[in-house]
Amino acid sequence: MILSHFSALVVFALIVSTVFALITKNEPAEQFRYGVFVFISFLAVAFAVGWLMYPLPL
Amino acid sequence: MDHSNEQVGSPQPASTAAKPMNMAATLAICSTGWLVPGLAHILIGRWIRGLIFAACVLLMFGLGLSMHGKLYDLEFDEPLHMFAFIANIGTGLPYWVASHIGWGIGTMSWPSYDYGTTYLWVCGLLNYLIVLDAFDIAQRRKP
Repeated sequence: MILSHFSALVVFALIVSTVFALITKNEPAEQFRYGVFVFISFLAVAFAVGWLMYPLPL
Repeated sequence: MDHSNEQVGSPQPASTAAKPMNMAATLAICSTGWLVPGLAHILIGRWIRGLIFAACVLLMFGLGLSMHGKLYDLEFDEPLHMFAFIANIGTGLPYWVASHIGWGIGTMSWPSYDYGTTYLWVCGLLNYLIVLDAFDIAQRRKP
């Protein structure tokens, strides 16, 4: 299986945010909110770091 | 002064509150949770949570293998591989089964090799957190 960078990131963020939300919060509503927050944070940080690295000659 | 309303919503007396599970049973349950992801929560009675955890860890493990990720063995001549090994064995039985079958050799030339290896590390590390969560629930440190 070959996943693109973005799809690998999305699947990774989805699974990890689900586990984090279930571990750290107790109420379903809290879990959902925190899971969405972690998921979006993963994507946002990845985009930010990606654009920061874009001009670097790697 | 009427104090009858103070009884409403007050916490349960200590004698009727849920007591923590004894340590031997807790450790036995945590061990099964390490070997089979999600099983500790199922044994405690948290079915839904346990099934979701099992699905997450096993899905991530399967994706890591299908992306030609590498499962690390215990190698003393490569000390830094110890950390990867510790992360990998967090998955429990699936790690041993996959290693025994010969999966997880890792194809470095495969485009998604790095992602697959990272998936395999992270699903093991997540399972450690899941086992700790089961420990806390069994010891009544969290609801």
